[in-house]
Amino acid sequence: MMQHFPVLAIFALFLGAFVSSLIRNKTARNGVVVLSVLTSFGLLCALVKPVMLEGEIISYWLGGWKPVADYAIGIGLEVDALSLFFGLVVGLAVIVSALYSFRYLEYDDAQSKYYTLYLILGGGVLGLVLSGDLFNIYVMVEIMTFAAVALTAYRNFMPGALEAAFKYLVIGSIGSTCILVGTAMLYLQYHTLNLAQLSALISGTAMPSSILAFGLLIVGFACKAFLVPYHPIAADAHGTAPSSISVIISGVLTKTGVYGIIRVCYCVFRAMDQSAVQVFLVLLGTISMFVCVTMALAQHDFKRLLAFHSISQIGYVITAIGLSTTFGLASGLYHAMNHTIFKGLLFLCAGCVLHQTGTTKLDELGGLSKRMPKTCTLFLIGAASISGIPPFNGFASKWLIYQAVYQRASETGNLFYVFVVLVALVTSVLTLASFVKVAQSVFFGQLPEKLKDTQEAPAAMRAPMWIFGGLCILTGLFPAVVVNYFTGPAAAAALNAGSYIDAMMGAGYAGRLSTVPVTVPALQINTLGFYDPITWIVLLLTVLLAFTIVSLMGGRARGARIQGEAIDPKYDTFFGGEAGEYSQVGGADLFWGFKHNLRHYFSFMHGAHSGVVNDYALWGITAVAVTVAYMFLFL
Amino acid sequence: MAILTILFYILIFPGLLFCVAVGLLFAGIDRKLVARMQGRVGPPVTQPLYDFFKLIGKETIIPAAANKKVFLAAPVVGLVSLVTIALFIPIKLFMPFNGMMDVVVILYLLCIPSLCLIVGGAASGSPFAGVGISREMVAIIAYELPLAIILLTAGKLAGLGEVTFSFADIELYQAYFGPNLLHWSMLPAAVAMLLVIPCEVGAHPFDIAEAETEICEGPLCEYSGRPLAVFKLNTALKTFIMPALFTALFLGGMGTGMLWLDVLIFLAECVAVMFVSMTLPHAICARLKVEQVFKFYWTIVTGLAICSFVLVWLGV
Amino acid sequence: MILVNYIASIFLIVLGFYTLIFKTDLIKIVIGLGIVDYGVNLLIVSVGFNPGGTAPIFTVNELDPGMFFVDPIPQALTLTSIVIGACVTALALSLVVRMREEYNTLDAREIRRLRG
Repeated sequence: MMQHFPVLAIFALFLGAFVSSLIRNKTARNGVVVLSVLTSFGLLCALVKPVMLEGEIISYWLGGWKPVADYAIGIGLEVDALSLFFGLVVGLAVIVSALYSFRYLEYDDAQSKYYTLYLILGGGVLGLVLSGDLFNIYVMVEIMTFAAVALTAYRNFMPGALEAAFKYLVIGSIGSTCILVGTAMLYLQYHTLNLAQLSALISGTAMPSSILAFGLLIVGFACKAFLVPYHPIAADAHGTAPSSISVIISGVLTKTGVYGIIRVCYCVFRAMDQSAVQVFLVLLGTISMFVCVTMALAQHDFKRLLAFHSISQIGYVITAIGLSTTFGLASGLYHAMNHTIFKGLLFLCAGCVLHQTGTTKLDELGGLSKRMPKTCTLFLIGAASISGIPPFNGFASKWLIYQAVYQRASETGNLFYVFVVLVALVTSVLTLASFVKVAQSVFFGQLPEKLKDTQEAPAAMRAPMWIFGGLCILTGLFPAVVVNYFTGPAAAAALNAGSYIDAMMGAGYAGRLSTVPVTVPALQINTLGFYDPITWIVLLLTVLLAFTIVSLMGGRARGARIQGEAIDPKYDTFFGGEAGEYSQVGGADLFWGFKHNLRHYFSFMHGAHSGVVNDYALWGITAVAVTVAYMFLFL
Repeated sequence: MAILTILFYILIFPGLLFCVAVGLLFAGIDRKLVARMQGRVGPPVTQPLYDFFKLIGKETIIPAAANKKVFLAAPVVGLVSLVTIALFIPIKLFMPFNGMMDVVVILYLLCIPSLCLIVGGAASGSPFAGVGISREMVAIIAYELPLAIILLTAGKLAGLGEVTFSFADIELYQAYFGPNLLHWSMLPAAVAMLLVIPCEVGAHPFDIAEAETEICEGPLCEYSGRPLAVFKLNTALKTFIMPALFTALFLGGMGTGMLWLDVLIFLAECVAVMFVSMTLPHAICARLKVEQVFKFYWTIVTGLAICSFVLVWLGV
Repeated sequence: MILVNYIASIFLIVLGFYTLIFKTDLIKIVIGLGIVDYGVNLLIVSVGFNPGGTAPIFTVNELDPGMFFVDPIPQALTLTSIVIGACVTALALSLVVRMREEYNTLDAREIRRLRG
């Protein structure tokens, strides 16, 4: 019974896609959408107990085509803890985004097409992470890319939407081509497409064609994760897509790239013991996190800024994955999950602002916290999470990553890893800076005249956001639980290629082909230091309580406490008396001292991101060439 | 009983009451010393306390453009997190809450008070505050990099071949091998830390965010009455906590075994650190420009910290 | 001669990439995508090719161990890949049509509202 769940979870989404396009009635269609995403998520949740907690691996052969004479001829689905972890993240984001979009899209036409594409997108991503077949992964990559491209251009009246979709399609095709050629190279050598069988056959052999395939697959999945130098298309696509789709593109599509890199590096090629691969991934992650955070600082559009941050956070994940330790992998997965949660929340906040005011330009907004206080609260939670303010979840996972990287630095005695820790810390501060910029220019500061009548975002949009908001706090408060029950098993599954192979190809198959089973140690989150959020919160609340009691004992303030729109003109004015003047300090004016010192860097980066698709194609193809050359030189 | 002890730790010593009292005292000593160095008589040492109570009695004006809740909550959150940080800074070997926080968490927690200043200022809606928060953020970016390197250096030294983020390990290391300040490869880091302190506190040569003469105290521009009193208390607390952090990192260990004597020595050391790092520059320097602050921290101070880190890493 | 196939497919892929980088006309970029796709398809078909093998079309009864035929799986993959390639082209062209309406040009150097 259980082994049918993965295929049904994928099928529920695809079926929902087709059924929802047949229904004209809006309520019924929304019902179908909710039903299909909930069914899919529910089926995945039913797998948590056996797969996550008991370490079982579920395999399923489509059409019952089981391996013949030890050769996998059918298409297989294989769900281990790693796949399920990503599946759950995907399922959660798809549910929240769907619930949000019902209200968010109220002014758009062609909604049925939206939901069809949306469910196809979700199904494609879910199919990718649950699949056990390399070509199937390629097909799913293409399905999800098409759906994402079409949805990016869904609001084709938005300036730049078409352009963003076209760039996404062209650059995304470079990545897809890499994955396909890599697949072909592997088939050429091993005559199978099954991940488990490939993993068993590849072990120990380093043929030129498998090195080529390795390089191409890495760069292909890096393109799907939008790592540098593929980041400009992500910024364009996230910035112009509807916010509910930005959540999926940033929170889910990038995760497929991360999943692909983990699967290829750890499981299929088992190449992570090579220091060249480790350094490559860590360097890729570090460059991505730094370049994108500085790009984000220079942005003038809310969603575009968030888009660059998205890649910056994925940089953290890739860095942690590149460490090749169980602890690093577990903390990287933790951050990947948190990234979906807080970045989803922030994109939905941006969506609320767009829905209520009609713009996301930082220089035109301001002072919305008075008009949209509830959205502002959610935004502050998300911003605190992504900037790593304790006790929110972003801090917990970043802290684990610092520990993992610094420990690695100490083990290898390599100063490069220390440099990585520093870049990560600086990135974290710059993230904080750019969210201060957003807070000041969207929610605080002065309210522009034309936004005077802005209303609070409807409850139907805020309710799904609280799912993410609550998770931001919950997963931040219990890091040990998350690591022990979710990311830890997932990391262990990624490292344990032997059991992955056996589950698919029959027990003992891996053993015959010289695979050493890996014992994964139990994880302890406090390796270098301590972080105990619960106690900390208790202390904080005690102090707060004490302070409140003391202030209450002091009684009311003796002076009148005055707030008013015009009790007395003196309360209207600012210190300098600019009552009548509108003088918002907006996004463009902030952080002058910082930008001035790094002006050469910023103007170079601004010029480099020219917006011409040929330039981005040049970067992408250069990245392919460099990666393949690197792999041939060092492997 | 255990709960009562913990409550005593949190509320009296080394928590709320102790911090507030010592913080206000330190702010007073600072002002007095600056005055004497400039040939003035200066206010009495208890002046910050009087200022605090006077502000509490004043009316609280909330500007029409402000978001009231955030505007009022920001100073309180800042104060509470500062007191919480103070609980985790070891006084010699006295660490009541050992095993809950490490130096990286402290690094991030130290952001919260500055962030509260920023958020509170932003919530006031004033353009002066807008300029002020921008400068405050630049200051945070400026000092965070060297501070991070300093903490990593201390962790590397105390790890004895491994690395550690634990404060307790750093203290124990100093108890066995003598204070880090006497370790010559840590000297550049100590100098860097002395330079980080005034920027983190917002003290004179680096008080770009609150520049009274240019931007009317920046984020504090619209604050008055009680919230302003709490913000002033925040600054006073930082005046104590940052030197205390320095003392814990570089002058730790050497406990006498008697708590009251340890505390006295600790406070004396903190006053000395405060004098060197905050009072002296205050008395002799003029305020720097925004871009100068950033450049100074990312070149000279970071250079010193890196220098120290490399020396420690190479085991010299 | 199978080597010719590999050389030709790599030539096609490189040619397509060249088009993507250096041709600024959007239609030419779409053509470039198509060329890359053909190169990849040729590569996959060549991967499964056995010199002298027959077409892999049999019923169950005809199959016996001594038979020599080309690998059918790459051909199936190629079919899928061709379909996907056609979809890419169609989607890209539809976007190009809309862009022509909105920007009044097909020059990639002028279609850059999103930059920096």
